[in-house]
Amino acid sequence: MFRTAANSASRVALRAPGALPGASVTNSAGHLPQDSGPAAQRSLHASATSLQDKAPIPNHSLSATEPITTLAQRDSNQLSLETPQNKAEYVLSTLDKVANWARQGSMWPMTFGLACCAVEMMHMAAARYDQDRLGVVFRASPRQSDIMIVAGTLTNKMGPALRKVYDQMPEPRWVISMGSCANGGGYYHYSYSVVRGCDRIVPVDIYVPGCPPTAEALLYGMLQLQRKMRRSRKGVLWYRK
Amino acid sequence: MVSVHRYIRSIYRVGFRAWWRQLNYIGDAKSGRLVGADQFGNRYYENYNAEEEVPGRQRWVDLAQHHYHASQVPPEWHSWISHIRKDPPNEDAVMVASRRPWQQPWTENLTGTQGAYKPYNTVAPKIDAWEPKSAPRA
Repeated sequence: MFRTAANSASRVALRAPGALPGASVTNSAGHLPQDSGPAAQRSLHASATSLQDKAPIPNHSLSATEPITTLAQRDSNQLSLETPQNKAEYVLSTLDKVANWARQGSMWPMTFGLACCAVEMMHMAAARYDQDRLGVVFRASPRQSDIMIVAGTLTNKMGPALRKVYDQMPEPRWVISMGSCANGGGYYHYSYSVVRGCDRIVPVDIYVPGCPPTAEALLYGMLQLQRKMRRSRKGVLWYRK
Repeated sequence: MVSVHRYIRSIYRVGFRAWWRQLNYIGDAKSGRLVGADQFGNRYYENYNAEEEVPGRQRWVDLAQHHYHASQVPPEWHSWISHIRKDPPNEDAVMVASRRPWQQPWTENLTGTQGAYKPYNTVAPKIDAWEPKSAPRA
């Protein structure tokens, strides 16, 4: 039981910090069911590799064929999901990869520009960083977008509107929290009228630090979100369940 | 500058294989001088011919990994590719002199993998979750 809890704790990368593995924040890619205890997660992700004792992850790698990202994934549940064990899983994981490829190639962010971060968000769309080359197109309608970039200070007055816009977005949806104010209140943390982080309202996938973050940092956050999208293995998960 | 002539000339210089790789990863046919490679196998190029490359595209990197991102470039080469330093780190005397024996090897950003940095708290939390205790009814 202890190892089960440890495994589930090691799986919650990229989630809201401080979120307990048991009562986890909703993962918008739908990896885990909500309100499932460690035991439920265990049965969902049961595979041969997760039962073995893990070797410590090395700190660095100089090999081009085995980079540190590959070494870090060794013996992980994610790798077991990406490695098909029979023909049905091969088909499903390929379908998952196609879906992931399509999703990460056409990220349409809903712009929730609230403050000066929104200006940097516009810079990401402008000629120098040119989000269009990655297929990132700003979409003013929440019903046709799959990512929400919360850029700026989220006030108490704006909180319900943010949640409403988030609820109108179709699944799968992701949220990027941009800037100190959206991450945790930032400069206005002790103000009476500011939400101390937009992750109190919506589940956040990527936190981009900075005050405001540069357009380059936001674009890097988008690329990290692509990395997260690539991890999605909904078909294989459904099959193994 | 971008032109059909430059494009075809670049293909002629680098060869078909390298052009196909460039098409998949850079999205342009570029030819230039191979300046060096870092410890991860990323290769760095430059071309200062004003008729071939515009400023901002004169230095570029061919990253070794398929899923590449910017933090795979180590800091010494980052300073070269961002034009912070003129010479590449293996030729730059200041760069070579500032390398320390206790220096840690560079690691790329591992967010989203098992090696991701996970901070932990060592002090008691300031906020406790509300656990309602209902008084039994009389």
